Amino acid sequence: MNELQKSMNGIKASKELKADTLRYLERQMGSKKDGKQAGNMAGNRIRNRRYAPRFALALVCLFLLIGTGGYTFYGRPVSYVSIDVNPSIELGINRLGRVVSANAYNEDGQRILEQVKLKNLPYPKAVRLLLDYEADEHFLTDNSLLVFTVISENAEAIAQKLAGLSSPQSASVLTYVSDKDCMEEAHRHAMSFGKYRAYQELSGYDGSVTVEECHDMTMGELQNRIEGCRGHGGDGSQDTDNGNTGHHGGHGAITEADSEGADRSRRIGIHPSKAQTPPPPGGLPQSALQSEVPLHGGGSQSCPKFRCGTGSL
Amino acid sequence: MKSAEDMNRVVEEYADMVQRICFVHLKNHDDTEDVFQNVFLKYLLYEGSFENGEHEKAWFIRVTINACTDWLRKLSHRKYLPLEIIAEESEIQDSSSGEILEAVLQLPEKYRNVIYLFYYEEYTAVEIAKILGRKENTVYTWLSRAKEILRRQLGGEWA
Repeated sequence: MNELQKSMNGIKASKELKADTLRYLERQMGSKKDGKQAGNMAGNRIRNRRYAPRFALALVCLFLLIGTGGYTFYGRPVSYVSIDVNPSIELGINRLGRVVSANAYNEDGQRILEQVKLKNLPYPKAVRLLLDYEADEHFLTDNSLLVFTVISENAEAIAQKLAGLSSPQSASVLTYVSDKDCMEEAHRHAMSFGKYRAYQELSGYDGSVTVEECHDMTMGELQNRIEGCRGHGGDGSQDTDNGNTGHHGGHGAITEADSEGADRSRRIGIHPSKAQTPPPPGGLPQSALQSEVPLHGGGSQSCPKFRCGTGSL
Repeated sequence: MKSAEDMNRVVEEYADMVQRICFVHLKNHDDTEDVFQNVFLKYLLYEGSFENGEHEKAWFIRVTINACTDWLRKLSHRKYLPLEIIAEESEIQDSSSGEILEAVLQLPEKYRNVIYLFYYEEYTAVEIAKILGRKENTVYTWLSRAKEILRRQLGGEWA
């Protein structure tokens, strides 16, 4: 007998509990014979007592929702988050901060969404669940690059909240802001807008790269190609197995060189546990979203081919 | 519809196991009773058949875990109980056993399941994967992480 068996052997169903249960089951069997729907009785004893107030509240909410066009209010996403590692998944978030749509943009993402139900959860909880699952299934490892890309009126707040979620692994985390034009363009290529943003950035450096090519690349590989094009391999970063660049996962601040990426989307920040990037003096001008100047740290050349993200937030 | 004899048999055979799984999840006897009875009610209403005793046992494990998860989702519960209460609830006299149980109860839910099934019910990782409907690799990962947590808390000899 092992230690756990010893420690749990004292846990037994009491004779009273067994007898009560059998009496309860006999009553249910009798009710069933009387023609009642036993299925509906499962737990009725408990529910009637404990859930009556909740049921009443739910009814009130239902009437309110029906009366005020609630479905539109609840079911319409106002923000979008693209979560890309290798699985690419987009979440639509309503005004209440709850997930109202979840779409996968590759097979891995599809498999995950079949297993993890995210709808109607508060988005931080949904993302947390997703990351836990991806870590369990080895999609998200210490060497992975996890990229959150946000489209919202409150993109910065959402991005910061996402970056604050501790990754179950020591994966590198990046957050970006994009826009709906970029999303529509991405969807025309059957790609998440997060990955498409990375493709756009890469294509700004390397005109020969195709969307199809990027479909099969992980975010780490994409980022590695981008870094390669930038020619910043010698900034103290270290490449990782799947192509991530070390300065995203490394400790300490991002270097000047790091922030030189030409990007019409905005890099909001790095996971707090990984690195800290101070905002540029004077904050982040809203108009910069529509420019081709990277907002974080700035100082780089704009990328003429980086056309995605013309919409404003 | 199951017969009264059949209900007597399954209550006698699985009551302790159902009680242990409920305890591992709910951490106290008070909440256990309703879930306990619900599990056997589900059996009463179940119209499928089982290939053999092992299949039936695995069904009870799966249904009990699901019932506990549903219960916890619906109600806000205490996540932690002091050692004395755990010992009292589980009728533990030996303090080292109490520590082990306390450490197991503090594991995240998914780790608790695999540790219980692996060490108490002595299922293999492959069998646990089938019962829980997860990949074998996932179960191996959970087992390894759970063991590591227990090893850190209880010392190198454990796990």
